[in-house]
Amino acid sequence: MDLFFELAELSISGALVGLMYTLIALGIVLVFKASGVANLAQGAMAMVGAYLTWACLTLAGAPLWVAIPLGVFAMFFVGRGIERVALRRMIGQPAIMVIMLTLGLEIMLRGLLPALFGPVKKRLDIGIDAAPIIIGPMLIDRAYLVSGAVALILIVLAVLYFNTRQGVMLRAVSDDQPASWSVGISVERAIGISWGLAGIAAAAGGVLWGSIQGVDWTLSLLLIKALAVAILGGLDSILGVLVAGLILGVLENVAPVYLERFGVSGTRDVVASLVILATVIFKPYGLFGREEIERV
Amino acid sequence: MLKLENIEVVYDHVFLAIKGISLEVAEGGAVALLGSNGAGKSTTLKAISGLLAPERGEVTRGEVLFKGRDFKRLSAPERVRLGIVHVLEGRHVFGHLTPLENLIAATSMHRSRAKIDGLVEKVLTYFPRLKQRINAKAGYLSGGEQQMLAIGRALMTEPKLLMLDEPSLGLAPLLVEEIFEIIARVNRETRMSVLLVEQNATAALSIVEHAYLIENGRIVMSGSADTMRSNPDVQEFYLGGAGRVDYRNVKHYRRRKRWLA
Repeated sequence: MDLFFELAELSISGALVGLMYTLIALGIVLVFKASGVANLAQGAMAMVGAYLTWACLTLAGAPLWVAIPLGVFAMFFVGRGIERVALRRMIGQPAIMVIMLTLGLEIMLRGLLPALFGPVKKRLDIGIDAAPIIIGPMLIDRAYLVSGAVALILIVLAVLYFNTRQGVMLRAVSDDQPASWSVGISVERAIGISWGLAGIAAAAGGVLWGSIQGVDWTLSLLLIKALAVAILGGLDSILGVLVAGLILGVLENVAPVYLERFGVSGTRDVVASLVILATVIFKPYGLFGREEIERV
Repeated sequence: MLKLENIEVVYDHVFLAIKGISLEVAEGGAVALLGSNGAGKSTTLKAISGLLAPERGEVTRGEVLFKGRDFKRLSAPERVRLGIVHVLEGRHVFGHLTPLENLIAATSMHRSRAKIDGLVEKVLTYFPRLKQRINAKAGYLSGGEQQMLAIGRALMTEPKLLMLDEPSLGLAPLLVEEIFEIIARVNRETRMSVLLVEQNATAALSIVEHAYLIENGRIVMSGSADTMRSNPDVQEFYLGGAGRVDYRNVKHYRRRKRWLA
């Protein structure tokens, strides 16, 4: 019985962290769906969001309920700005140029923000009680629970958004750009919005994770996890990233504990990379990747 | 209402695809552009709808006037707001969206919800077939249904000028007839102008008042639908021959198109 509860406890906290990964991966999926571009700056955007929130909170002394929305929504405009200034010039350029550009942004931001705010790890206290919740014999970290719940709410909001009129137009752009132009949809604007939403998703994830592990450049390493989730989920499916996020979160939490008993240690960070490799080799379109519709 | 004055279109800064085309579509009128493959019909439509840009094409000379105003500088979505809509060749429906979502995707210019609902209702009365499959994925509709959806989607923008590129492509004759009847009906009932590009000259000439014949990026002939129909060259080259001609007995030089001589 102990073994069962131990496994359940690990799985639950893993799944909660997985939801947060899903939230960040959502930004990669959104941009890919709208414009077919791999957004490798997503990790850095999460970091920037967390730094901005920390700055509002600590440097400007704003209360929590102002600082968090401000930091998160500022990232909407940062995302749009990145698209407007950098990505739009890349239209018609080979895919490798765009990938290098977003990766370059990621690396630049990783250096720039710690340089601006100082390299010491910042404490981002968003007022979550440190005492765990006790369910029977299991302990669940309150911070994980809150972050999982917030992530889930935002994911549900994203799904609902895709069924609004604007969301339908965004999906139309991801389907067929010339046809979108031909019926009056501004494709450039739709892609800009997708980057803005990616910024929001990244910032929310960054704040949640930053409150748990502190804010410094290592937050941008979330890129690897988000990328693993997006690739496993299939790059263009919201349901896919949700399932993939849960899988990665649970695997990452459960596998190291048991492997350690066999004398294998330090596997936690390897899980995400293994997931990327395995997906690309065995199921290149991911679990829920979109099939091209072909009528026969 | 729409007037092209001696336009030239260049692709990639080098390739001259349209070599001076002038044409006119009156308010409420229906006009066809006929011609063989590669004559420049689709390019002409793209020059009007603004869809040349993504293909690195450009109108380098001439005027594109809508209600007397040159709109060469406007982007494609802005032209849709003026009332010019282009149904692309090969249908281009949003395959992963349902037909209803396809229609809704074309409403970025409308603000009121009631208006959008009314437009959906109207389009579905024109194309009752779409109603039955309103929640399927559009990519799985039949070719004819997709063409109807593409036209219906264009009608959602409340166009003043509807441009259709090869609506008969790959469809059975009965379906072609059905679709052309609907186009003619919309043209009659709403006084919306129609500019039609077609290979199927018989079908096209049955619903338009005026037609232009394009070859090699130039207009080589124009006239009313009746004049075009009765022209022996048009009959021979675009309407499948005028009755019983034994081609083996027709001398090569007789079969040359007269305007190429």
